[in-house]
Amino acid sequence: MSEKDKKSIEEESKSCITRRSIIKGLIGTAGVGVFAGLTLPFGTIKNTSGKKKRQKIAKGDKLVFAVGDKANQIIKVDDLPLHKGTLAYPKGKEEHHNLILLFHSPVNNFQEPTKMDFITKNGFAAYSAICTHMGCTVEWYPHKQFSFDFPHLFCPCHQSVFDIFHGAKVLAGPAPRPLPQLPIMISDNIIVAAGDFNGPIGPQPGGK
Amino acid sequence: MYKWLNERLDLERFKEKYLSKVFPVHPTYFFGEIALFSFVILVLTGVYLLFSYTPSSQLITVNGKKLPMAYHSILVINSQPFGLIVRYVHHWAAHLMIAALMLHMARVFFSGAFKKPREINWVIGMVLFTLAILAGFTGYSLPFDALSTVATGIGFEIANSIPYIGNAIAKFVFAGTFPSPGSIPRLYMYHIFLVPLLLLATIGIHMVIMVKQKHTQPKENKEITKGTKILGIPMYPQQISLMIFVFLFTTSVLFFLASVLPVHNVEFFGPPTLQTPMVKPDWYLLWIFGIIKLIPGSWNIPLPGGVVINPEVIGGLIIPSIIMGFVTVAPFLSKSKEAVHYWEPLEHKPVASSIGMAIIVMLVALSITGYQAELNIPLWVCRIFVLTLPTVTFLIALSLTKKGKA
Ligand code: FES
Repeated sequence: MSEKDKKSIEEESKSCITRRSIIKGLIGTAGVGVFAGLTLPFGTIKNTSGKKKRQKIAKGDKLVFAVGDKANQIIKVDDLPLHKGTLAYPKGKEEHHNLILLFHSPVNNFQEPTKMDFITKNGFAAYSAICTHMGCTVEWYPHKQFSFDFPHLFCPCHQSVFDIFHGAKVLAGPAPRPLPQLPIMISDNIIVAAGDFNGPIGPQPGGK
Repeated sequence: MYKWLNERLDLERFKEKYLSKVFPVHPTYFFGEIALFSFVILVLTGVYLLFSYTPSSQLITVNGKKLPMAYHSILVINSQPFGLIVRYVHHWAAHLMIAALMLHMARVFFSGAFKKPREINWVIGMVLFTLAILAGFTGYSLPFDALSTVATGIGFEIANSIPYIGNAIAKFVFAGTFPSPGSIPRLYMYHIFLVPLLLLATIGIHMVIMVKQKHTQPKENKEITKGTKILGIPMYPQQISLMIFVFLFTTSVLFFLASVLPVHNVEFFGPPTLQTPMVKPDWYLLWIFGIIKLIPGSWNIPLPGGVVINPEVIGGLIIPSIIMGFVTVAPFLSKSKEAVHYWEPLEHKPVASSIGMAIIVMLVALSITGYQAELNIPLWVCRIFVLTLPTVTFLIALSLTKKGKA
C-alpha cells in the first residue's frame, strides 16, 4: 500500500468519525430538546385544589357539632355531660383544618402544660382534632384502652395517644407534637371560641 | 389457512424459534406465570369496571344522601348482576399478583438465578414489583370510601413531609392537597393508564430477556445431561397446555376467593367521614406501616433552613428505599463471577442465603408490628424483635449453610 493510499484511507476514516459525531450531536440535541419540550408543559400543570388559607377562628365563634344527629347545631353546655366528647366546627368556618375535638372532663385533673386559661371552669377543653403525625382525625376515649386507664385522645392511624390533662402531650405513638389547643369559654350557656389554636395544625409540609 | 398465513408470515420460522422454547419443569416455575395471569385477569376485570366507574369525588345527592360520585358508582357496580364478584376478583387478583411476585422473587433469589448473567432481569423484576405495588396503592384510593381516603391521605402526607420539595411533589402527584377535586381523576389516570402501561412494558422486556437468556435449570438436569443440554418441555404443545391449566386454575381460585371472602366492602366502610376508621394498609405495605410505628417521634434530622427530616420520611421513605435498594443491587454485590445456569444449592452462597432469610424474617416481624396495638405487644418489644430476630436468623442460617458446605 502506497503512502498516498494510507493517507487517503486515514482521511476518509477521519471524515467518517466527524460525520458520526455530528449525527451523535444532532441526536443528543434533539433528545434534550424533546425532553425539555415535554418537561416544560408538565411543570405548568395547575393543581385543582384552589387552596385558600384557613379561616382563623376568632373570639366569639360559636361551636357546632360536626358529626352525629345534631350535626351543624350549636353546642350547648348541657349537650355534653361529664366524660362526653365530640367533633366540632366553628360555626361558619367548617373546613377540615378547623376540626375541633371538644370534651368534658373533671376540671381538677387538668394540669400544666395545659393552657389553664383556655379551658372552662367546669372542665370543657378543646383541641385541634387533626393528628400532628399524618393528619388523621383523633378520637375521644373516655375509658381505658391498652395500658391507658384514663381518658385520652387517640389517633386510629398509628395509635398516637395524647394526654388531655397535660396539654395533649404525646404519650405514645409517632406523633411529633402535641395537638394545638383552642381557647374556649362559656357565654349564655353555649360554648364559644376565645381565639385561634395556639400552634400549627396537622402535619407540616417539607419536614418543617 | 395455515399455509396461506405461513406463506406470508413465515410461521414455520416462528414456530422453530419460539414455540419450541424449552421450559424446565418444576412447580416453583409457575409463580411468575401466576403473577402474569393475575395481571391478565386484572386487565380484563378492570375493563369491565371502567364501564361503570366514575372518577370524581364530587358530591351528588342520592335518595337524600350526599355521596361522592366515585363511591356511588361503586355501589352501582355492586348492584349489577356480576358487578360485585368482578370487583372482588379484581381486588383478589391484585393480592395474588403481588404474592406470586414475592414467591417468584424468593425462588429466583434462593436458587441463585439472580446472579450473573441475569442481573438485568433481576433489576427489571424489582421495577415490575414496585409498579405492581403502585398499581395497588392507586387502585386502593379509587372507591373513595372512608377507609381508602384515609389510607391515600397518609400516602399524601408521607410525600408531603419530604424536606424542601415534598409539598410541591405531593401536590403535583395528588393534584393539590388530598383530597382535592382533581385528586381522584389523577389517581385514576395513574391506575388505569400510566402504571399499567409501564407494567406492560416491563413485563415485555422481562420476558424477552428471559427467553433470550433461558431459565436456570433445576440441579438434577445437570447430572442427567452432564451439563451439555438444557432439559425440559417445549413451549408447544406441552408447556402451552400447562399454561392454560395454570391460567384456568388461577382464575377459578380467584373466583372462589372472591365468592367466599369478600374484600373491601365499601358499603360497610361507608363514604368518607370526619372520623377516621381504624386503617391498615394492604398486607404488602404492612411492613412500611410497621417501620413508621417503630420510629420514635423524636427522630428529627435537622437540615439547613429550619427544615427537618422527620420520622415519617425516615420510616415511610428512607428505610423502605434502603431495603428495596439493597435487594435490587443484590446481584452486583455477589462476588462469584461465574455465570449461573443451574440452581445453586443454598450452601454455595451461605451469606446471600442467610441475608435473604433474615430479610424475610424482618419483613414479617415488621408486619406484625403493624398489628402491635391490637395484639397488645408493647412497642419496645417490637423494636427488640425487629432487630434481633433477623440477626439470629442470619446467624443460624449461616452456621447451617456453612455446615452443609463442609
Ligand atoms: S396520623 Fe395520627 S398517629 Fe399517624
